[in-house]
Amino acid sequence: MRSASKAPDGTTGTSGTTFDRVLLGGKVLLLLAGLALVLAFPGLAPDAFILSVGVTIASYAALAVGWNFVGGFTGYISLGHAAYSGLGGYATALLIIDGGLNPWLALGVGALGVAVVAVPIGVASLRVRGASFVIVSIAMVLILLLVSQSWADVTGGSSGLRVPRPFSDDVLRPEQHERFFYLHVALVAVALLVWWAIDRSRFGIGLKAIREDEDKAQSLGVPTFKYKLVVFVISAFFTALAGGMYALWFGYLDPIFQFSILIGSYMVLMSLLGGIRSLFGPVVGAVIVGYSLEYFKNQYGDSQFHLVALGLMLGLVVLFMPDGVLPAIGQLVNRFRPTATSIREESAADLLARTTKTEPRQAEEVSR
Amino acid sequence: MSTRSLETEGLTKSFGGVHAVNGASVAFQDGKINALIGPNGSGKTTFFNCVTGMIRADSGRVSYRGDDVTGAAPHRIAAAGIGRSFQLCRVFPRMTVLDNMLVGVRPQGLLHRLRGGHNAGDIARARQLLGRVGIDHLERSEARDISYGQQKLLELAGVLMTDPETIMLDEPAGGVNPALIGRLGTLVRELNAEGRTFIIVEHNMEMVMSLSHHVVVFDRGAPIAEGDPATVQNDPRVLEAYLGV
Repeated sequence: MRSASKAPDGTTGTSGTTFDRVLLGGKVLLLLAGLALVLAFPGLAPDAFILSVGVTIASYAALAVGWNFVGGFTGYISLGHAAYSGLGGYATALLIIDGGLNPWLALGVGALGVAVVAVPIGVASLRVRGASFVIVSIAMVLILLLVSQSWADVTGGSSGLRVPRPFSDDVLRPEQHERFFYLHVALVAVALLVWWAIDRSRFGIGLKAIREDEDKAQSLGVPTFKYKLVVFVISAFFTALAGGMYALWFGYLDPIFQFSILIGSYMVLMSLLGGIRSLFGPVVGAVIVGYSLEYFKNQYGDSQFHLVALGLMLGLVVLFMPDGVLPAIGQLVNRFRPTATSIREESAADLLARTTKTEPRQAEEVSR
Repeated sequence: MSTRSLETEGLTKSFGGVHAVNGASVAFQDGKINALIGPNGSGKTTFFNCVTGMIRADSGRVSYRGDDVTGAAPHRIAAAGIGRSFQLCRVFPRMTVLDNMLVGVRPQGLLHRLRGGHNAGDIARARQLLGRVGIDHLERSEARDISYGQQKLLELAGVLMTDPETIMLDEPAGGVNPALIGRLGTLVRELNAEGRTFIIVEHNMEMVMSLSHHVVVFDRGAPIAEGDPATVQNDPRVLEAYLGV
């Protein structure tokens, strides 16, 4: 029976057991159910406020997935990713206002511009690791906060910047929310698709090796700096798209909120909470954190107590699910795997197969 | 004379006032099993790290097969054909054994890098090497879940995945049981017979003396003796260095 859990020799597939097939089926069903729920959400939302909460959560999800390109793959924790969402927002707004660009074109061009700006920032900041990298990332967002507050001619300074709406005025508020909900969901979907494609590529394996042990990865020939820089720029691009999309929806930018460490921390917390090694981790984290934030804000009104409540919740998750929610569930499911063993357990048939040099497949038949 | 292997000239590295490597000029023999021995703190690992680009030497030159590789980044050294293991064994703990192997695949160009990591060709090669070191049954386990000895074998297989001409092992026998030491020794001999050069830092004298063709003895950051195992063993300077007389 043991040998049934091994992939039979001669086939290249890695998942062969019934358990794996059931698991895969379950995942697909769950994914489809989740997708259906997301797509049906605007129809189910009872009022415009709930709908706007949905857009906020979708926006958080887009930010967190953007963050997770660098955080999840390389393990570099950037607390200053609000720099890129903020720059994306301002770039989009200014390209519309001063450049006269079509809003959607402005969004794309703005994000590309942010990606270009991220190259020198990455070259400078990715030279340091661990806590030093975190500090450098925070410095970046603080610099941008000061610049955007002082450079009032361009950014509107502390009084903020009004962003022209991409849809005409006869599109009513709930309708606006609905459209932006779907736009954010589409952005999340595209970002997830790119994340998935990287995850399964050789590039992705190199990146994950960097996360685990950067020196070791480099000694095996992975050009670590180049890899980190590329994924950092991709991350900045998607974060900027999320920031720009938010600007188009919200219609107003204030430096204090755009370049805040709090927004950057949310991205980190959502991703960690959901699980940075999982494709859907940041999305799950965004839903939990986003919903809780809105719920606590609603409960505790204008006070800062919603931050305390959120902190408590995150403390609990870190204590009991240090790898995040999705990996914790994955481990739970794995307990039911029929033969989860890392030690070679040799059945008589295995032994027979080795000593008599018969085909392993024959041995399997013997063991059945 | 055979082609030249790894050579250093006046390699020096200091940490504060400590001269970890102090003007070391060493030439290793191509196609042979070379051993680098010496008392604790004699600079063997620092020498390794300077050669493989993990740390930058203060001065001196490193050349490999006649090419100057002084100060080259570790991935360039790897691309030049030198693979290495680490003291105390380093694997990627939260990656599966199979994915650990796939890190060593060397893609050429953008399209190669974007190709699926789990393609049949790469996997077949990884499985073959895992089979060779005897841990192919563990390919789906995470590397942190397998035993220390198995991790050592995985590290060696991972290095082989890069298909290096020269393999530098930092204390391969450290912390492993005698049976596994024997297995490692056999593997090293087989790989050497296929034409791969070895440079091994090791404290297990039995292994060093039985395995190596050429022994270099380090003391205080520089070589004090070299030659075949029998000669080195009887060299008074070596005895002095070890006994600290």
